[in-house]
Amino acid sequence: MLEIRSLSKSFGGVKATDNVTLDFADGSLTAVIGPNGAGKSTFFNLITGALKPDSGQILLNGVDMAGRSPPDIVRHGIGRAFQVASIFPSLTVQETMLAAVCADQRRASVLHRRFPLAETRDRAEHAMELLGLASKRNRTAATLSHGDQKLLDIALALVLDPKVLLLDEPTAGMGTEERWRMIDKVRELWETQKITVVFIEHDMDIVFKIAPEIVVLCYGRILATGTPDAIRRNEAVIEAYLGTEHHAGAAV
Amino acid sequence: MTELQAEQAAVVPRIESQSQRSRYRDVLIALAAFAVLAILPMLTGSKALLDFVIRCSAFGLFATSLNLLVGFTGMVSFGHGMFFGLGAYGFGLIMQRSGLPVPVAFVATLVITTLIAAVIGAICVRLKEIYFAFVTLAFQMLIHSTILSWVSLTGGDQGLRGGIPRPAFFGVDLSNHVHLYITSCALLVIGLLLMRQIAQSPFGYTLRMIRDNATRASFIGIDVWRAKLTIFVLAALFASTGGIIMALFVSGAYPEFAYWTISGEGIFINMLGGVTTFLGPMVGTVLLLILNDTVTRLTEYYGIVLGIVILFFAIGLRKGLMDFVVEWYARRRDGSGE
Amino acid sequence: MLPLDLDALTGCLASSACLVTQTTSGFIIGMLLFLVAVGLTLIFGVLKVVNFSHGAFYMFGAYFAMTAYQVTGSFALAMLCGAAGTALLGLIFERVFMSRVYGSDVLMQLLVCYAFVLIFDDVVRMIWGPEFKSMGMPAAFQVAPLFIAGGVVPPYYLLLIGVALVAAVILGLGLARTRIGKVIRAAAHNPGMVSALGINTGLIYGGVFALGGMLAGLAGALAAPVRSLTPGMGFSVLIESFIVTVIGGMGSILGALIGAILIGMIRSFGSLGFPLFTEGLMYLFMVIVLVSRPTGLFGKEVA
Repeated sequence: MLEIRSLSKSFGGVKATDNVTLDFADGSLTAVIGPNGAGKSTFFNLITGALKPDSGQILLNGVDMAGRSPPDIVRHGIGRAFQVASIFPSLTVQETMLAAVCADQRRASVLHRRFPLAETRDRAEHAMELLGLASKRNRTAATLSHGDQKLLDIALALVLDPKVLLLDEPTAGMGTEERWRMIDKVRELWETQKITVVFIEHDMDIVFKIAPEIVVLCYGRILATGTPDAIRRNEAVIEAYLGTEHHAGAAV
Repeated sequence: MTELQAEQAAVVPRIESQSQRSRYRDVLIALAAFAVLAILPMLTGSKALLDFVIRCSAFGLFATSLNLLVGFTGMVSFGHGMFFGLGAYGFGLIMQRSGLPVPVAFVATLVITTLIAAVIGAICVRLKEIYFAFVTLAFQMLIHSTILSWVSLTGGDQGLRGGIPRPAFFGVDLSNHVHLYITSCALLVIGLLLMRQIAQSPFGYTLRMIRDNATRASFIGIDVWRAKLTIFVLAALFASTGGIIMALFVSGAYPEFAYWTISGEGIFINMLGGVTTFLGPMVGTVLLLILNDTVTRLTEYYGIVLGIVILFFAIGLRKGLMDFVVEWYARRRDGSGE
Repeated sequence: MLPLDLDALTGCLASSACLVTQTTSGFIIGMLLFLVAVGLTLIFGVLKVVNFSHGAFYMFGAYFAMTAYQVTGSFALAMLCGAAGTALLGLIFERVFMSRVYGSDVLMQLLVCYAFVLIFDDVVRMIWGPEFKSMGMPAAFQVAPLFIAGGVVPPYYLLLIGVALVAAVILGLGLARTRIGKVIRAAAHNPGMVSALGINTGLIYGGVFALGGMLAGLAGALAAPVRSLTPGMGFSVLIESFIVTVIGGMGSILGALIGAILIGMIRSFGSLGFPLFTEGLMYLFMVIVLVSRPTGLFGKEVA
């Protein structure tokens, strides 16, 4: 599905992503963890085209995405949501969804018809239902709660029917209870939509409980990959990253 | 649960019929507005009033097209006036030098505007925010300087003199004041209707997304650069049409039409009327022209009066008139609903 | 197509007399522009406001100086009045009006400035009348011009360039060495941090406007003996110093100095080679700089 081959990117001598090679299997759910500054967000920015890699390949079903523009990569099926909810503040939830479907159907520059287009409504409707935003369809995005804005951000990625969904800290800025609600939602979407999901997460409890696959990044390199059990036992990971948290995680 | 489903079932067909109805409604409003404007000459013999409406048409088209950039796309252009000047000079020169029929010259002017706007736009829309404002301003002044220095073509600081020939076409004689008036009104109404269509089309919503969050727009597959360039050129066309009306009205073209103050006035009109509603700039145009005409008649210190009015809007209301009215209306409606 | 007089330009470049004369005239244009532009760039750097009414300070500086000179007959006092008067004006303008629109839209800030351009021009027209005025050359400088390598250089030009350079040096040292200078630079860099340190940002903002106003007023006062005074005289200066700041990089003082001298030279030598397109040259230069380096020659790169 998504294969990363020797991906590298440095900023003025600092290697933010250093020769990363990874496979994300079709329909997998993978958590990317690592300490602050490990290069997690850079990794996402490279895959989605926000940054151009210095070298390496990003193969989506065998097609190289490296160096393409964000709109191009999105159209190939890699959707993303952001750490800080990235939405359109003055549009309503429904308008946001309808306009996104429009863009996906290559109708974003249609001039002779009126917004919204009839053929966009079913998919927009579906996405709002999936994320539980249908009852807030007429609220402008700016007036939504923090959690709902994060959901809207994910809905924006999901409504485009991506093959791969990248979620940059879906639970950022949330309280414990809200975190679990959000992560249950992510898991539910992964199960029902049959898509490949990769998410960045800081909360180790969440990661070890729900992610079948874990990738540990450290200083731009891959420290380890594997199942939660394998990661828990990995000496290098314990050494470099988990430390005391490892014991807390093991106790759960 | 059932209530929710029923509500959703009702929403789906509503979407389509709503967008159809909104289009019919806009066309009806446009027709009604045109009818009212068209019978005005029969009700009044005032040449001054008709002149006022012609000027409103020219500046209204210009200001509304600027709002497609400023209000809808978030591109604050300080050089939009260059296309107003380009329309006036382009049309005036074609008529003076070629003797083509008016409609052909009109179309030719728009073609020239498209080409120039595409080249300038391709350079400018790469830049963001204040730098976009600077570079458009620089281009405006470059064109103004070119007009001043290319005396053999443009007449330099004297402008295009000797009048613009206005041969009759299809029974329309633009040297006849009423004919010119009706033509201006028609161009205004058609122009506004087209711009309204742009604003309410899927492309119009693409522009709103770019204004709100261009990064996110590119991550749902929108080519931001192309969309910005498209609206830059489209807006230039309507500004150019405004310039053509102005050239017909004064039967000439002057360097002031391409000076940066035209752009400044356009921005000011937008702020005066408000940028969040489609008709805000039109309201702003009427306000500014009335203000212009009355204040210059009453006092020689026009600047002080106009300055105080601007301060009232900028520091007092902190928004344009239409924005203020819409918000006030929404508050009142919400208040009485409870 | 464009009126072009390359013969005049090459002829001048070949003659040392003409070269000296044109370079001097380029320098006085440049130094006056620098004094105005540096205030513009400081205000933008610290407050992120493009002060469109900055030209008015230049205008008021010239009128204040003229009146002070007519009343007292002292040239030094005239300069002082020009600078001090506009400093006060800048302070009042910032505290009473601009400070009300910091939070809001950039367009609202521009509108307030635009309003004051209109108001100030009319105020000058009311007080001093609409006609062209002249301060006249002070007696001390009514002496024979100097000849340097065959070029004619009026002594007043040297004074003007000297005063502007001294002001530039004092400003540069003041910002680099003094406490208040460091605070201003910190405010330009990170406004939040300065208020977090318990420094009164209102005082800093007002101070920056007063400083910017004072420098522009000084430029106007220095220009008063050699330029004619008229309401609206600030505007062309504003546009040119605006080009200077954009070329040099908004917020950069060194950029303002280099940009001002560049524009001064373009104006001076361009008027020989392209007599009608001199302004066009400046805008062309601005377009080229903006397209190749949007943040200006010495502006900070936006990450």
